[in-house]
Amino acid sequence: MFPAPASRLTRLGSVSFRGLRCLSLFSSSDSSTTWSKVVSDAEKIVGYPTSFMSLRCLLSDELSNVAMHVRKLVGTQHPLLNTARGFVYDSKNNLQMRGLIVLLLSKAAGPSHASSDLLPQDMISGIYPSQRNLAEITELIHTAFLVHRGIVNLKEWTDSDGPLKDMEFGNKMAVLSGDFLLANACTGLAELNDTKVVELISSAIGDLVQGIYYESSCSAEESLCEGVDVASWEDQTFLSHGALLAKSCQAAMQLAKHDRDAQRQAYLYGKHLSLGHKLNSDLQPFVKSRLGEMTLFSLSAAPVVFHRQIIGNERWHQQLEEARTLRNQLDYTKLLAAVKSEKGVSSAVDLCRYHSNRALEAIQAFPSSEARSALENIASAVTKF
Amino acid sequence: MAGSWWMSCRRFSTGFTTCGLSETLRCFIGRSPYSPASSTGRPFLSSAAGKEKKPLFPAQIHSKASHLIPSGIRHRSSLLYPTLQSCSCRTTHSDAKLRDPFTLAQKDLTSLYDDIKKELFVAKTELNYLCDYYFDGRGKAIRPIIVVLMARAMNIHSNRAGDLLPGQRTIAMISEMIHTASLVHDDVIDGSDERRGKRSINEVWGEKKAILAGDFILSAATKALARIGNCAVVKVLSQVIEDLVRGEFMQLGSKENENERFKHYLEKTYKKTASLMAHSCKAVSILVNSDPEVHEIAYQYGKNVGIAFQLVDDVLDFTSGAEQLGKPAAADLKLGLATGPVLFACQQFPELHAMIMRRFSSKGDVDRAWQYVLQSDGVQQTTYLAQRYCEEAIKQISRLQPSAERDALIRLTEIVLNRNK
Repeated sequence: MFPAPASRLTRLGSVSFRGLRCLSLFSSSDSSTTWSKVVSDAEKIVGYPTSFMSLRCLLSDELSNVAMHVRKLVGTQHPLLNTARGFVYDSKNNLQMRGLIVLLLSKAAGPSHASSDLLPQDMISGIYPSQRNLAEITELIHTAFLVHRGIVNLKEWTDSDGPLKDMEFGNKMAVLSGDFLLANACTGLAELNDTKVVELISSAIGDLVQGIYYESSCSAEESLCEGVDVASWEDQTFLSHGALLAKSCQAAMQLAKHDRDAQRQAYLYGKHLSLGHKLNSDLQPFVKSRLGEMTLFSLSAAPVVFHRQIIGNERWHQQLEEARTLRNQLDYTKLLAAVKSEKGVSSAVDLCRYHSNRALEAIQAFPSSEARSALENIASAVTKF
Repeated sequence: MAGSWWMSCRRFSTGFTTCGLSETLRCFIGRSPYSPASSTGRPFLSSAAGKEKKPLFPAQIHSKASHLIPSGIRHRSSLLYPTLQSCSCRTTHSDAKLRDPFTLAQKDLTSLYDDIKKELFVAKTELNYLCDYYFDGRGKAIRPIIVVLMARAMNIHSNRAGDLLPGQRTIAMISEMIHTASLVHDDVIDGSDERRGKRSINEVWGEKKAILAGDFILSAATKALARIGNCAVVKVLSQVIEDLVRGEFMQLGSKENENERFKHYLEKTYKKTASLMAHSCKAVSILVNSDPEVHEIAYQYGKNVGIAFQLVDDVLDFTSGAEQLGKPAAADLKLGLATGPVLFACQQFPELHAMIMRRFSSKGDVDRAWQYVLQSDGVQQTTYLAQRYCEEAIKQISRLQPSAERDALIRLTEIVLNRNK
C-alpha cells in the first residue's frame, strides 16, 4: 500500500527504535536513575555480579571466532554490529534484566518444602544452582533472538545501502551465533533434569519466534498491521516480549518444586512486568521528546496503536498522508504531534500502570522479604517516565 | 608422523599394504569403551572377526569404481551387492529373509508428516505454511526410517514385542524435525536458492523469516522431546543440536596441515550429519533398555552409517547430475568446501592445496579442482572409506538379537552406499 521508500524508512526506523528501546529506560532523566538504582540494588540481593551469561558459552572458540569476524562488519550497516555493541555498552541493565528477575523470584519464593532432593544448604544467597542456571539460559535465549532479529533480507537490500557481500556475511555470522546461543541454551536446559522445565522454556522459545515473526511481518509490510487493536497488540507483545520471562519465572518455581499457585503467580509477575516494561519503552518518544528534536518511533508502538484505534483508520491514513514529505518519507515530528494531540499516549500510560499493578499483586503471593521488595520496586519503576 | 592413517588407507586400497588399515581406521571408526573392533565379547560375530580383515578390498574397489558413474543398473544390482554377500554377518543369518528397510519402516511412518504438522501448528497461517513447507513427503526421511528400525530391533533385543513405544515414535519425528530445521538455516548460511527440487524458504520469503521458521521448528522439536518425559533422552538429543552448530562453525575454517584437515573434515561430518543419527538411535535404545553397552551399539551404528551417508553425499556432489541430487553439482566446491574427494585428490595433485586454502575463490578454481578430483582416485577413496564405515556399522548392529528390523538396518547400509540421490 505504501511505496517502498516509506516502508524502508519504517524498517530502519524500527531498527533504531529497537536500539532506543534498549537504552531508553536508562538514559539521562529521572526515570533512568530510578531504574538503575532499582536494578543495582536488586543485583546485590541475588549475590552475584551481573554476568549471568554462561561463561562457558561466551569464552567458547565459536563465539570468539564470531567476535573476530564481526570486526569485519565495522563500517557496514548490518544490524548484528549494533546488537554486538549493545552487549558491550549496555550489558549492565537491560540485557540481563530477565536473568535478574528470575533470580529475585527464586529467592523471594525461598527454599523448597516439597522435595527431599533439594537441600537448603545447596542454596547460594538463597537461590538453588539450577535456578541460577535457568537465569543464564533465559539470558542466552533472549540474546539469541536479539541476534536473529537482526537478520537482513538480502532482496530488500539495494546497492546504495552498501555492498551486498557485507550483508551476506553479517547474516551468516548472525545465524551462526544466534544458533550457537540457542544450542547452548538447549544443552543447559537438558542439564536441569526437569522435563517440565524443558517443555516450558521450549514453548517460550516458540512464542518468542511467533511474536518476532509477526513483528517483522508488521514492519516489512505496513498493511499487515492494519486493524491491529489494543487487545491484539497485547497478545502479540506478550509473545514477543513477555512469554520468555513469564515462563522462565514459572520454571524457576518448578525447579524448586513450589506448588502450582506459586508457579502461576510467578508467571503472572513475569508477564505483567514485561508488558509494563514494553509499554514504558514504547512511550519514551512520546513523553520525552523535546521540540526540534528528530524522534523516530515504530508505527506499531503502543501509543500509536491506541491512537489509531481512537481516531479510526480513515483519519489515521489521512494523518499519515499529511505527514508524508515530498520525498515520500514520513515526517515523524509531525506524526508525533498528531499522536500526542489525542488520547493515545494517556491510554498507553494507563495500560502501563495497569500492568505494573497486576505485577505488584502477583508478587504479594510470596512472603515479605528483601527480594520481594526489589521485585516490587522494579514493578513500580516501569511506570516512571 | 610416519604416514597418516588415511594415507595408509590410500596405500591399502591400491593393493600394496594390507595390515595398516584396520589399525589406523580403528582410530576413527568405532572407537568406544565398549566395542572396539578387536573386542572379544561379541555375541553374534565371534567367528567373523578375522575374516573381515582379509584383503577382499582391492577387488571391491574396482567393482565399486565401475559403479561410480550413475546408472539405473546400479540401483537394482545393489540387492545382490557382492561386498555384503561376502560379509560374514550376512552369512551367519543367510536364512533371514532380506527385507526392504523402506517397506519395513513404512508401517511406523505413515503418519510421520501429519504428526510433524500437528506439532508445528500455530495460529499465524504464514508461519505455519513456512514450517510445513519441507514436510511435504518428498524428503527421503532416512533418519526416521533408521530410528524406527533401530527402535524395533532394540525392542526385540530387549525381549519385548517389536512394536514402537510412543516415545520412540516421537524420537523418529524429532529426528526429521531437527534435520529440517538445520537445513533451513544452512540454506541461509550457504545462500542456496533451491532445496529438494523447489525454491528454498529464504528464496521465497527472505532470510529473516527463514531463520525464524527454522527456530520455530526447533522449538517444536524440543517441546515434543520434553514431553517424552525422560531426562536422559533430552540430554542425548540436545547434544545433537549443539553438534550441528559446532559442525557448521567448523565448516567456516580450514586447516593448513593435511592430516589435521582430514581429521577436521571427519569431525565436521560427524557433527553435522552423524551425530543426529547416532544420538537418535541411542535415544530409542535408552527408552527400552538400561544397559549402556546396548546404547553404545545403537550409537555406533548411527554414527558409522551417518558418516558413510555423508561421505557418499560428498561423492555424489562430484558424480551425480544436478537433477538427481536436487542441488547443483559441485555445490560444495562452489561454497569453498573441500570434502573427502578433494582431500584425497590433493594427495595426488598437490596443486589443490593452495586452492583448498583459498576456498576455491579464485577464478577457475572450481573447474580446475573438479578436473583434478575426477582425474584422481579421490572419488573411489572416499567411497571406499564410506564402505569401511558401513562395515563397522554392520559389525555393531550384528551384536543385537536377530530380527527383521536388524537385518533391514544391515540392508540399509548397502542402500546408503549405492544411492545415487
